[in-house]
Amino acid sequence: MRATLKNPYIYLLFVLPTIALYFLFFIYPMLTSFYYGFTNYNGLNTQDFIGLDNFVNAFQDPDFRNSILNNIYILLFSCCIQVPLIVIFSLLISNVKRLQGFYKTTVFMPSILSTSVIGILWGYIYDPDVGLINSILKSLGLEPIYFLADMKWALWSILITNAWQWMGFYIVLILAAILAIPRDIEEAAMIDGATGVQRAWYLTVPLIKPVINVVIMLSIAGALRVVDIVLVMTGGGPAGATDVMASYMVNQAIKYGDYGYGSALSIIIFAIALVLTALYQIVIVRRQEKVEY
Amino acid sequence: MHKKLVSSLAVSMAMSAFLAACGSNDGNNTSSPSASPSESASPSPSASPSESASPEKVENFTVSLRHIQIGDAQKFRKAILDDVVAKTEAEVPGLKFELDPVEDQVNRFTKLPAEMAAGNPPKIFDVFGGAGDTQKYAAAGRMLDLTPILDELGIKDKFLSGVLEPFSVDGKVYGLPIGGNTEGIFYNTELFAQYNLNPPTTWDDLIKAADTLKANDITPFAMGSSGAWVPNMLVNTLIGRVAGEKTNNGFITGEVKWNSPDVLAAYQLYADWEKAGYFSKGELGKDYDGMLNDFVAGKAGMMFDGSWRSSAFKNDAVGGAIAGKVAFVSLPAVPNGKGDQTSVNANYANGYGFSSDVNENEKKAITAFIKNLYSDEMQLRGLLEDGVLPSMKLSEASVAQVSDPVVKQVLDVLANAGASFPHFDSVVQSKVYTETETQLAKLIAGKATPQQVGDAIQKVQDAENAAAAK
Repeated sequence: MRATLKNPYIYLLFVLPTIALYFLFFIYPMLTSFYYGFTNYNGLNTQDFIGLDNFVNAFQDPDFRNSILNNIYILLFSCCIQVPLIVIFSLLISNVKRLQGFYKTTVFMPSILSTSVIGILWGYIYDPDVGLINSILKSLGLEPIYFLADMKWALWSILITNAWQWMGFYIVLILAAILAIPRDIEEAAMIDGATGVQRAWYLTVPLIKPVINVVIMLSIAGALRVVDIVLVMTGGGPAGATDVMASYMVNQAIKYGDYGYGSALSIIIFAIALVLTALYQIVIVRRQEKVEY
Repeated sequence: MHKKLVSSLAVSMAMSAFLAACGSNDGNNTSSPSASPSESASPSPSASPSESASPEKVENFTVSLRHIQIGDAQKFRKAILDDVVAKTEAEVPGLKFELDPVEDQVNRFTKLPAEMAAGNPPKIFDVFGGAGDTQKYAAAGRMLDLTPILDELGIKDKFLSGVLEPFSVDGKVYGLPIGGNTEGIFYNTELFAQYNLNPPTTWDDLIKAADTLKANDITPFAMGSSGAWVPNMLVNTLIGRVAGEKTNNGFITGEVKWNSPDVLAAYQLYADWEKAGYFSKGELGKDYDGMLNDFVAGKAGMMFDGSWRSSAFKNDAVGGAIAGKVAFVSLPAVPNGKGDQTSVNANYANGYGFSSDVNENEKKAITAFIKNLYSDEMQLRGLLEDGVLPSMKLSEASVAQVSDPVVKQVLDVLANAGASFPHFDSVVQSKVYTETETQLAKLIAGKATPQQVGDAIQKVQDAENAAAAK
């Protein structure tokens, strides 16, 4: 047995099925979609090689540019509004003396629900006729707001739903970091007369910066690949107001059968995501010093 | 030691064999039943197709059937299909249909195209005629040529003239329209009486009705634009009225341009109505069912929809609440409109197509299915029970049996029409149609002007026409 396990080929044999599956379901589709990106493949007819036409079209396509913008809005929203809120909520919950477990569970709940469930649930909350929000507005004598049908509101509605779904997950992440900070640091600050806000801003936040960085990283990645909530709630509508890159790609490829163009779009999305995360890694994370308690 | 090596080799072989088995199983599910030995005990029938069907040796086989008769509003048509299925199963020994219900839009624009791309459509499926659907799939060799079957059954001449054309390529027929419809105005007679309005049979009466309803906080037209095919129905008829009934057929030949002044005038009219607030508020978030709900609930006085909706206003149907209070008219003549102003939209675009990948047994099942579904009896039942206009010639005595008042009005509309024009969705290429939906949504949202809409669609039309000419 020992001799068998010393034979390196045996190990190769063991990983072979996995590698085969990996090639079949990951490497091969990736290479073919890369190839399709340079063709006018529509699934039915033979494809012609058309060079960079798809990519040129993509950047001239106002609808795709609009969807890139929407992704940027989502990214800004998650980094500039969502992350500060997450930190504030975490600080609040960490200072709660009673029922902390209850709050932790409550904020975490939405992230264990499936996105489809959340999309449909919030679809009802936003409903113009029977929805919760509009019922309140109506009882106050106000005009109903068509959250998912109005160009002005649709993206905001989705942003709020998306934030509701994912904030709990990040809050638990940051909460764990806060609770891991030794109590004596805080007590020392208290004895020196620091107020609660001062302690939070000058002590806790710097100490949990590495975790905040991770949260920002995950938010960026999340903002770039957000698509399920859009497809469930609006399908990219009204008139492209909530289209993100991925939903536009899905519609072009799957719904309209333009697999060549869709593949090209997916390559562009991949490139953008790669560049952004790499940039963030280089500019922010690498500069960080390691925190020592 | 060596033994161990052998045994681990054996294990990994077994594993790959297991994986391979998974793979081939998958393959069998999608290929024709005759290729899968596990499903049929007796040997493949393809060796002796013609005379082998001896009664004692019946081979069981299944045929997949994709239909779109989902939900309460479609229950009458589903009942007809169920009867045809039962009858066909009784006639063909060993046959079992596997019904696969999928929502219309999902089937037409997502599922069927993906299956066509992968080459594994159901054996029988709901399909639309025209360059974007049947003709595209037929040209790619995915659909069964029905000409021999039609000759065998002798029913080709029983179809109304021209209705097979959207389903034909080079004189061969690849699909059969199940029935026809015309798109026009349903209006709530009770609301019209309440506000002393004339039926919207002239342009002035229509506009007066819309303005009066609007002034009384009732939506003039229920509209569900979350799927842009719904408002596209009205756009289509406006184009036929304003630019003439021959316009729609001219887009693919290049004779008519989407950004020509006449077509733009139709889009402008739509934009004007939009601006005047004639359509449901929040229409971009409302779906097709939501539109019917608004109309049935009396929140809207009119609704532009296909004549197939008439079956929703029977007593026991989804729109039973306003049964007997609904009437149907075609869009009235438009002032300064071109062409024949009595022409109406008439579509015979929806029907059934069949996979080209079928064996002899499945072909027999398909032949029997066609024989039973495309019969005088079922065509008449479609008309009487579901309000679907027959796609085949029926005797006058049969048609005279129609008692539903709305269906009668639909028949009157067609009888009084000087000419008919198709919906452009069964004429233009699918990319062009897609663009009309995208652009119409922008027009409704106020993000594009009629000129921009026309220019954008024409750009795609030019590219598609050029590609087709190659």
